[in-house]
Amino acid sequence: MMSKQKPTVMVVEDEILLLEAISKKLELNGITAIPYSSGKEAIDCLNNLSKLPDAIWLDYQLKDMDGLEFMGQLKKNGECAQIPVIVVSNSASEDKVNSMLALGAKQYLLKAEYRLDELIPIMKQFIAENKTQT
Amino acid sequence: MKTKYKLLAVAGFSALTIALLSIFLYLSFQSFNLAIEYFMVGLIVTFVLNAVAAILLLSNSTSGQIARLHEGTKAIAQGNLDYKVGIQTRDDLGQLPGYFDERTEKLKASYFEDLEEKVSEKNKALMQRIEELDSEQQKNKEAEEKTLIEKTKDEATLTSIGEGVVVTDPQGKILVFNHAAEQMTNWIASEAVGRFWFETVPAMDEKGYLISREDRDMYKALTTGKKVFSQSIYLQKGSGKITVAITATPIVLKDQIIGAVQVFRDISHEKEVDRMKTEFISLASHQLRTPLSAVKWFCEMLLNGDAGELNPEQKEYAKNVSDSNERMISLVNSLLNISRIESGRIIVDPKPTNINKLISEVITEIKVKSNAKKQQIIVSVHSDLPLINIDPQLIREVYVNLLTNASKYTPPGGEISVFISKKGDELISQVSDNGYGIPKKDCDKIFQKFYRGENIIKIETEGNGLGLYLAKAIVESSGGKIWFSSSSGSQPKADAPLEHVLGGESTEEKDLPAEREGTSFYFSLPISGVQAKKGEVTLNS
Repeated sequence: MMSKQKPTVMVVEDEILLLEAISKKLELNGITAIPYSSGKEAIDCLNNLSKLPDAIWLDYQLKDMDGLEFMGQLKKNGECAQIPVIVVSNSASEDKVNSMLALGAKQYLLKAEYRLDELIPIMKQFIAENKTQT
Repeated sequence: MKTKYKLLAVAGFSALTIALLSIFLYLSFQSFNLAIEYFMVGLIVTFVLNAVAAILLLSNSTSGQIARLHEGTKAIAQGNLDYKVGIQTRDDLGQLPGYFDERTEKLKASYFEDLEEKVSEKNKALMQRIEELDSEQQKNKEAEEKTLIEKTKDEATLTSIGEGVVVTDPQGKILVFNHAAEQMTNWIASEAVGRFWFETVPAMDEKGYLISREDRDMYKALTTGKKVFSQSIYLQKGSGKITVAITATPIVLKDQIIGAVQVFRDISHEKEVDRMKTEFISLASHQLRTPLSAVKWFCEMLLNGDAGELNPEQKEYAKNVSDSNERMISLVNSLLNISRIESGRIIVDPKPTNINKLISEVITEIKVKSNAKKQQIIVSVHSDLPLINIDPQLIREVYVNLLTNASKYTPPGGEISVFISKKGDELISQVSDNGYGIPKKDCDKIFQKFYRGENIIKIETEGNGLGLYLAKAIVESSGGKIWFSSSSGSQPKADAPLEHVLGGESTEEKDLPAEREGTSFYFSLPISGVQAKKGEVTLNS
């Protein structure tokens, strides 16, 4: 087997209902979800986790910070900087998308445009890419 | 005649004297011969003396008269009409002065008559001239007053105008500097006038780089003779900055640029409002899309059986919720797109585009729906199309809207065709169907926001009435036109198709499908390409 453990994805989404739906869907697809509704708590958690998640599912607009700030905080921890980040947001203006991609986000997706069924394979693909690289 | 008698009398008298003298001499000397001799000599002497006397007499009287006449003429010429030569003699010449005086008298009379007339004429002319001068003076005064009023008005206008107005000479030296310009630049007019505009008020672009003299609007207006518009940031006297919208216009007199007028307006507030609007749209889209996403994803999981298998009725209900939600999502997307286009903040990013490829991609997308309705799609693209510089994302949206409509409003088994042709310097896209058509009375409304044809509302409930509005907005912002022709769905086939033209372009009969029913939409794009436009947002973001 490629890995004994299930892959893990940290989900950072301030809308509780969405967080619940995403986590449930990930679990149903054999992925362990680490759900967080606060950006700050998510960053704190990352700094204390013994095993880093395989990917981060990030909403751009959080209650306590935006995606740019989250990426900045993530970059402070050298190891965390390697985790692939997929932004799934409700607004994708050109400058937001460009600056997030410039900060290292792998992809920027518009939430309402995708079904969860479509998003899961995208997540899996980035997890696989990251594993082969490391 | 009288002079002759006088001479004869003198001659007679002289002859008598000589005869008496000769008798006296004969008596004295008693010599006849001597007396004859003396008589002859006396006779000759008398004759000569007489002749001399006659000449002297004659010449005396004639020359005197002529001299007086001459004097008279001179005096009269000098204006003395009272001069009289006087009657001197009765002879021919002597009558002349009388005649002269008579004429003078007549002349005097007629002269005075003339003179009076002339004086009265002159007087009249003089009075008229005086009147003219008076009215001229009055006019001048009025004109002066008018000029003063105009000047005061102009000054008041310049002062009260909310926009900065600066007038320069051909070298860019400030001539006029109004009150608003003072307020916006912190310069006082008295200090600014006479200085060079470019040095006095430097300008920066949006990125904060100083704009060189050659790139300044006023400079361009002065050198090219054309009106120039732009937005810049002016550096005020002191340390402030102000964002302004500028119009620089050359002043041209007889083909010569004699200066320029620059009008500028403070747009800091507009910029702020614009920023707030962007923020609002972004916020609204976020806020609206969040619950829509939640509904979408939970419905999806329900239908997937993630929460256990649903019975057929439950599945149907969940599907209804999901479908309605999808409509809501597309409505929000359309509204956002429209607000982006309407606000002019949309980015137009033209790229050399292969229209054929773009159409194929859209057809693939549409086929999901058209295949389900067993509709046929025929595509015909001009074989020799160059790459066209358009914004593929925007134009794609137009094709998607037209083709979605065609599929939606055509009954199952119908036919949809796409023709792309070149006509002059335009690319004409035609999307036709043999569907329900557009009722006559709806024809002038179908491009309106939220408008849906009366006939199709009953047939097809899905649709928000924004697709064509959006398509029109995109085509027009790309420098093209959109129009359609349709046979009314409620009218028999035999009826001539109703043509509806927007943007002044007429539809061509030959472009119509063979079977005259359904609807054909056309839109044009300049083959030369679309101009890029800076903005803040893209579609569907």
